[in-house]
Amino acid sequence: MRVNPNPLSDLLSALEQTQQQINTDSEQVASGQTVNEPSDNPSAAATLVTNANQTTEADQYLRSIGSIQGEMQNADSALSSVVTVLQRAISLGTEGANGTNNASDRQAIATELQGIQSQLVSLANLSYQGNYVFAGTATQTAPYVVDSNGSVNYVGNDNTNQIAVGDNLNVAMNLPGSELFSNAGNDVFQAIQDLITNLQSGTNISGALGEVSNAYDYINAQRVFYGNAIDQLNTQQTYLNSETTQLAQQQNSLSATDLPQAITSLETSQTAEQATLQIISQTQQANLFSYLK
Amino acid sequence: MSSLNASLATALSGLEAAQGALQATSNNVANANTPGYSREVPVLEASDPVVVGALTLGTGVTLQSLESIRDPILESQIQQETQTQGQLNSLVSALQQTQVNFSSTTGDIGTAISNFFSSINELATSPADLSLRQGVLTAADNLASAFNTTANNLTAQRSNLDGSVEQTVGQINQLTAQIAQLNQHISQVQNAGESAGTFIDQRTQLIDQLSSLVDVSVIPTGNTLTLTTAAGTALVAGQQSFQLSTQANSSGVQDVYSGSTDITSTIVSGQLGGLLQARDQQIPSLQNQLDTLAAGLATAVNGVQTAGFDLNGKQGTNLFNPPPASGTGAAASLSVAITDPSLIAASSDGTSGNNANADAMYALSNQAIVNGESPSDYYSGIVFNVGNAVSNASAQQNASNLVLQQLNDQRAAVSGVSLNEEAANMIQYQQAYAASAQVITAINDMMYTAINMTTLTG
Repeated sequence: MRVNPNPLSDLLSALEQTQQQINTDSEQVASGQTVNEPSDNPSAAATLVTNANQTTEADQYLRSIGSIQGEMQNADSALSSVVTVLQRAISLGTEGANGTNNASDRQAIATELQGIQSQLVSLANLSYQGNYVFAGTATQTAPYVVDSNGSVNYVGNDNTNQIAVGDNLNVAMNLPGSELFSNAGNDVFQAIQDLITNLQSGTNISGALGEVSNAYDYINAQRVFYGNAIDQLNTQQTYLNSETTQLAQQQNSLSATDLPQAITSLETSQTAEQATLQIISQTQQANLFSYLK
Repeated sequence: MSSLNASLATALSGLEAAQGALQATSNNVANANTPGYSREVPVLEASDPVVVGALTLGTGVTLQSLESIRDPILESQIQQETQTQGQLNSLVSALQQTQVNFSSTTGDIGTAISNFFSSINELATSPADLSLRQGVLTAADNLASAFNTTANNLTAQRSNLDGSVEQTVGQINQLTAQIAQLNQHISQVQNAGESAGTFIDQRTQLIDQLSSLVDVSVIPTGNTLTLTTAAGTALVAGQQSFQLSTQANSSGVQDVYSGSTDITSTIVSGQLGGLLQARDQQIPSLQNQLDTLAAGLATAVNGVQTAGFDLNGKQGTNLFNPPPASGTGAAASLSVAITDPSLIAASSDGTSGNNANADAMYALSNQAIVNGESPSDYYSGIVFNVGNAVSNASAQQNASNLVLQQLNDQRAAVSGVSLNEEAANMIQYQQAYAASAQVITAINDMMYTAINMTTLTG
């Protein structure tokens, strides 16, 4: 049977294939990636797009959590100060309710309570990075203003903000002052104001003291909101950190070069290349013409 | 009775036949590496004998012709496969350029989409913050320019392919004209009763080249042949070639015409087929998907933006200039409509500290706003489509290369020049030549003897 008398083109095309494999392997080793172009592995390339998107999302959630955590911690510690201050107000009120006090004693207590009142106003007007924390969503103006009569008015609104810190996970970022300090029936400022007025007049001090005590209980209860929110953010942060790790692992397993495998394949290809070259150089030397004399 | 002269003539025919056969060998050796060359073998035949009385005397040998050895069926298979290969080569190279736009880099659309939504989530943490608002505008600009760049690259690539279509049509015309001319030579030579092997080799080679450019059917007609496209458009009929032409169509690319007939859609293989497939199907389909993504995204973002309130408490206006109603060109024309960061409508109640609208805008990132998918999922689908198209076409290309290699091997086994064989033939003809020459010398001696004989007696 007659065979192809000139197999050089076959050998060259084998050489080309080997060369291509060497190029692919070298690129994978050099870049550390098996998916350098979508065609290298279309479904992995598509998954990598989703993976990159999820990674960016998770990183952003973590950044957002970081920035609202600061605000919430400040709010929580402001509320904790409010509670401390209110305890002081209650002990002052209890002292004032003692029948042995004369008018000037009560006036002295009332004056100290006025100091407490303005301390409370300043705590309720807490601002974090240019935003008033207890103003609802009217964060650009101080929510509590003291009028000429000394009574404290809320000028914020009743709205809250929410923010996404996970896919389909929104958390409330704030409690408006109207729900904290100026809640109808538990108005802190009104209670202190009443206590001051009643101390000055000497009437129904224990009634006003009851109001302050109610307000104290109420605020203490509301603090739970921030406590819970901070806990939730911490939990979510832990989750996102592990999600980020998992995404990185997924990315790695989808596209990272298996170095031992790639290098072995590279070496195999190089050996094949050498062998093919050897064959070409040896088989192409001899034909009958060389033997004719 | 035989005569010495007759023997001389017989020996001479052997000398000539050996010389002619050696001519075939020497031509074969000279063309050992000529692409498309088919080896020639001398066709030797014993000359008609002469009957003299009871004797039948041979009159030597005739070199009938030098026949080129070829397998027409194999050649037609090679032409078929060459068409497939031409189509896949141009398609793969076009698609590989396309997929560069969808490789994951820092400037790709997928990253830009993620960063855009990321900036909105960031804004939600502090909706009145001007620097965060500026961050959203910058991310929106980057998103628009990622779409613009990719769309423009695709358009540019499409117009490059269009240029290649014109060039290819030019090459086809050149080849068909050459083939028609060769048809003429071949029929002249064959009508004169001579062997047209070399011309046929050249023609086969040109048809192979033509096959790599366009789908060709070869119909032998007598001494010449007719070439048509697979769909039946005449390219060459005998000594006449039919030129193809191009003409711009309404979408601004060149259609291929034969006479006044638009044959663009009938060309499916060869380089031209591959170019047309990339130009008219693959790239437009990608452009279409990008437009859908850009339009869906811009419309959804605008919808949320106009439902909210900006930093000054005013009703929001479009963030992106509205995409064209048809969606066509949405990716190329995507642009940000506002430059003042305070115009981003983060608030849903008009107060500057409200972030509900920004939160709603962020939520779009996971909503089915583009053809029933989230923007990122839709984009990842595009990446899959691009990668899959390249990967499939490359696999077919590899397969086609192997088939073609196999067929070429077979053709070489039939038609290729083997130097060993030629060396053996050369020895054979050389010896035949030497032997015939010896016979002539012997006859010469005999003649001399006979002539001397007459002199002696005379």
